[in-house]
Amino acid sequence: MDKQPATVFVVDDDLSVREGLDSLFRSVGYAVSAFASVREFALARRPDTPSCLVLDVRMPGPSGMDFQAELAALNDPIPIVFLTGHGDVPMAVRAIKAGAVEFLLKPFREQDLLDAVRVAIENDVTRRRDEAALAELKERFATLTVREKEVLAFVAQGRLNKQIAADLGLSEVTVKVHRGQVMRKMGAATLAELVRLADLISGKEQAVR
Amino acid sequence: MRRDRERMRIERPWLWLGLIATVAAIFLADTFTSLEIAVAVLYVAVILISVRFDRPVVVVSFGAASALLTVLSYLLTPRGIQETGLANGALSLIAIGATTYLALRIEAAEARVRQTQAELAHMARVTAMGELTASIAHEVSQPLAGIVASGHAALRWLAATPPDAGEVRRALERVVADADRAGEVIGRVRNLVAKAPPSRDRLDLVALIEEVLALTRGELRRNHVTLQTDLADDLPRPLGDKVQLQQVVLNLVINAAEAMGGLETGPRDLLVGAASDGRTITVSVRDTGVSLSPAAIAQVFEAFHSTKPGGMGMGLAISRSIVEAHGGTIYAAANHPRGMVFGFTLPVAGTALDRQHG
Repeated sequence: MDKQPATVFVVDDDLSVREGLDSLFRSVGYAVSAFASVREFALARRPDTPSCLVLDVRMPGPSGMDFQAELAALNDPIPIVFLTGHGDVPMAVRAIKAGAVEFLLKPFREQDLLDAVRVAIENDVTRRRDEAALAELKERFATLTVREKEVLAFVAQGRLNKQIAADLGLSEVTVKVHRGQVMRKMGAATLAELVRLADLISGKEQAVR
Repeated sequence: MRRDRERMRIERPWLWLGLIATVAAIFLADTFTSLEIAVAVLYVAVILISVRFDRPVVVVSFGAASALLTVLSYLLTPRGIQETGLANGALSLIAIGATTYLALRIEAAEARVRQTQAELAHMARVTAMGELTASIAHEVSQPLAGIVASGHAALRWLAATPPDAGEVRRALERVVADADRAGEVIGRVRNLVAKAPPSRDRLDLVALIEEVLALTRGELRRNHVTLQTDLADDLPRPLGDKVQLQQVVLNLVINAAEAMGGLETGPRDLLVGAASDGRTITVSVRDTGVSLSPAAIAQVFEAFHSTKPGGMGMGLAISRSIVEAHGGTIYAAANHPRGMVFGFTLPVAGTALDRQHG
């Protein structure tokens, strides 16, 4: 997995809270970048490491909740842990429904915060691994010829070689050869695995579209 | 309102001097005019004016002194008919006695009014602080969050191998600073909620305003209000009661924040300003909430008149009486292009005194 330390981004307009969180997260081994506002965070360059965002809800300017919606609209998947000085239940429900990892009230218990950040970072690690795997899969898919992609589509639908041969006007032997190529290029050991990989690619493509 | 101004209990050298000079003048006139002329009756005016010291003992002293001097004048006056002089003297003494009694009654009534007003103001202050509970909790929870984070960080830096002394020291410095900050918040709340007798000091208005803003920061944040200040740094230091004026600023700021809290769209900007033209100091609180109609503005400082749901309508009425007691005026106007400006002026120097003599 990733070798660099995970990064915790802290956005809180209160200087001493910001510095305290910065020191706390560094003391447990994270890299930390702290910002006074969501604008500063949005403009910042983010390193390519697993990361999460510890976000104050109420700040002058755009609130943490608004910013969560903005990130979602931008397809930014960074996991969020909310901290707030005075939150209520509806606010917490809204945040969690919108995908926040945790919603903590200040003053928080240290362990709760560190647990929440650990979960958030783990989520991000998993997401990054899945994304990397999918990206690799797509690269492999890109190496298939047009004919091989056609064959893969039919195989994924569960059609037999004989049927595919008839549909495409090919001989059954040719279909078998194509299928062997597809299995090799896609790195699938079994037919079942090939079908699963095909689903992953098409699923992702649908989501993107 | 003159009575309000007298609420400021201060030593007033000019008033003392004036009254004693008047007493001396009456005594001399009474002594050197003939016994038929009852100049001593004029002591009555001195006794009535002495009510302004707001101290029964002063009224009684002037009454007693007047009576003694009347008798003394009678004995010293060389000319005139003795019987008339005796009758005049007796009438003067009765007048002085009756006036002293009435003056004491007036004094007591005024004291009751002052007390009631102080209690009302205190109640309004406590109510205002009640509205700020969430905000104050936030102001305290912020440094506490800092203490939790920095404290645990310090422990971890200490437990590291090797321990990082620099990090530990910085973390502990933050802990101390945060603890001080939380303590200051508590101190400000305590000052505003405490029942303190009226006082009169030279005030640093900028510090006074900033203390109030520190307490309302959470309330502003809750209402997503952006705060700007424009506080002149060379303001004269007017005489006044710090807690009372803080109460006025607090009221104006809370009102502004609430006026903007309900907005659907548009900016929520709060501008708190303080400036002086040398004669008066103006403190203004400008919001971008709803503008009131001129008819509503005319009523806004009246007691039991409220434009907010659940409002008692006391805040601005009490603010007005406080400002007027300081010799200033409170005002409201529509802000351009929208919102309201509420503010007050304070005379720069010696105000209440000047006006009483003027």
